Amino acid sequence: MRDMEQFRFSASTVQVEGTMVPVAEVNLAQGDSVYFEHHVMLWKDPQAPLAAYSVPGGAKRKLAGMPHLVTVAYGPGRVAFSREAPGELLVIPLGPGVELDVREHAFVVASHTTAYSYVRIKGLTNLLHGGNGMYMDRFITSGEPGVVMLHGNGNVFERYLQPGERIQVEPGGFLYKDASVQMNTVQLDVKTGMFSKGLFVAEFVGPGRLGIQSMYHHHGSD
Amino acid sequence: MTTAPTTPTSGDTYTCRYCRLQSQLGQDQRSCPTCGAPIDLRAAVSTSGWVEQPPIADMTRIQFGRSRVQIEGDVVPVADFSLHEGESVYFSHHALLWAEPGVRITNHPNAKGWKRMLAGMPSYMLDATGPGRVGISDNHAGEVIAVPLPAGGAMWVREHRFLAATTSIDYTYARNGLWYRTGYGDDRETHYPLGMYDDVFTARSEPGLLLLHAPGNTFVRDLAPGEHILVQPRALLYKDLSVQMGLHLEAPSMAGWSTWRRFQVRTMFLRLVGPGRVAVHSVFENELEGEAVTGGQYTTQQW
Repeated sequence: MRDMEQFRFSASTVQVEGTMVPVAEVNLAQGDSVYFEHHVMLWKDPQAPLAAYSVPGGAKRKLAGMPHLVTVAYGPGRVAFSREAPGELLVIPLGPGVELDVREHAFVVASHTTAYSYVRIKGLTNLLHGGNGMYMDRFITSGEPGVVMLHGNGNVFERYLQPGERIQVEPGGFLYKDASVQMNTVQLDVKTGMFSKGLFVAEFVGPGRLGIQSMYHHHGSD
Repeated sequence: MTTAPTTPTSGDTYTCRYCRLQSQLGQDQRSCPTCGAPIDLRAAVSTSGWVEQPPIADMTRIQFGRSRVQIEGDVVPVADFSLHEGESVYFSHHALLWAEPGVRITNHPNAKGWKRMLAGMPSYMLDATGPGRVGISDNHAGEVIAVPLPAGGAMWVREHRFLAATTSIDYTYARNGLWYRTGYGDDRETHYPLGMYDDVFTARSEPGLLLLHAPGNTFVRDLAPGEHILVQPRALLYKDLSVQMGLHLEAPSMAGWSTWRRFQVRTMFLRLVGPGRVAVHSVFENELEGEAVTGGQYTTQQW
């Protein structure tokens, strides 16, 4: 996204500023709101009200190291957000009836028309070797469109997988996917250390879109 | 300072100022066919003689053999290899970002890997063999630097900067002997500012492509015979084998102040002596300062 690019959701606007560690500056209209993890808020107008919102299943998320409380900012007023890493700010508009799964700690801010839930990553292999934590954030739109903004470390690439099409990805590179895309963990038969064998990668199976990031935390063995 | 732009056109024989190789330009060619550096830019040269290596433009393609690599992104770029049947590249296993299931991934033969493991270096590397696509990236903000090597050519590369290479390039390493010691008695500690090993990449009988990842921006300079320069050891990216190197300790004048004998105000530099090409990158880890140097092989300058 280009520096100073602007776009609109509901009656509010967002301007994305900067290229190395971009900032999303939201100009909230009266009646609109956005929610976010409190530590990604960079600055705000004093008059923009804030409230806390407890995510369903909050205690479980707390145990998993995920935020169980999110903060809601209401319009009118301006609030700006950023995550403290070089990368790209992704704006993902969601049409009505869309479910998007997002890697933990990648979520920056979402519009009030988007429901925030989570899915537990299934399968012991996925949990132990997948590198994506225990939960993925899930953003759901029902009757109205919404918008979700994510932070991808490094550069972000998206690929649309056809039904049954597969791709193997370093688990730390996974950023987001449509809920229709399946995620499994597979082991490549290669030696990765003196006493370790097998490189675990995440295998995604279409249909749906898949987003990856180029600056990732390596979760393989050394 | 900038120098006048070159405006080569299709069919011209073009000598790249960054990779130094000659190639024929194709139709609408905007980048060097062998290293991907833009060809329509003015050279940005600092008054001290460093040439800023321009980043490879997003989506630039570089051909090697019957395969090609496309550099994607500008913050943490990805090398997206499209490998032809039977052609392969090798890389450290932690640099693998994604692969199509059809690509054959196997271990790269690497003798004495355990020595490197003890030195904290990647001991096991992987080969990816076509047909198919594989994406390789480092995980630091910076640039991908393509170093095409002609047959018989060789390049020294600092440890951890290697990203990927074609299998026509041999990879060898050897202890560099650059170390110094701090502390006394049981508290003595040995430091290796460049790491314990030198990585050397050599194209045997045919040319090859070597990809490096440089955190931050990259600057290149040609040292004349006998010319020397001091750089931060961990900022060095690559150098010609003809460039000699050694450690050099500089201690500033304390203007009457003194420190406890265990501490020392000093900087440990790397002295590079020409002739040859050297490249540095702008994001680097500083050498630990403070503890007095009590041994090692280095020259000294006390101001």
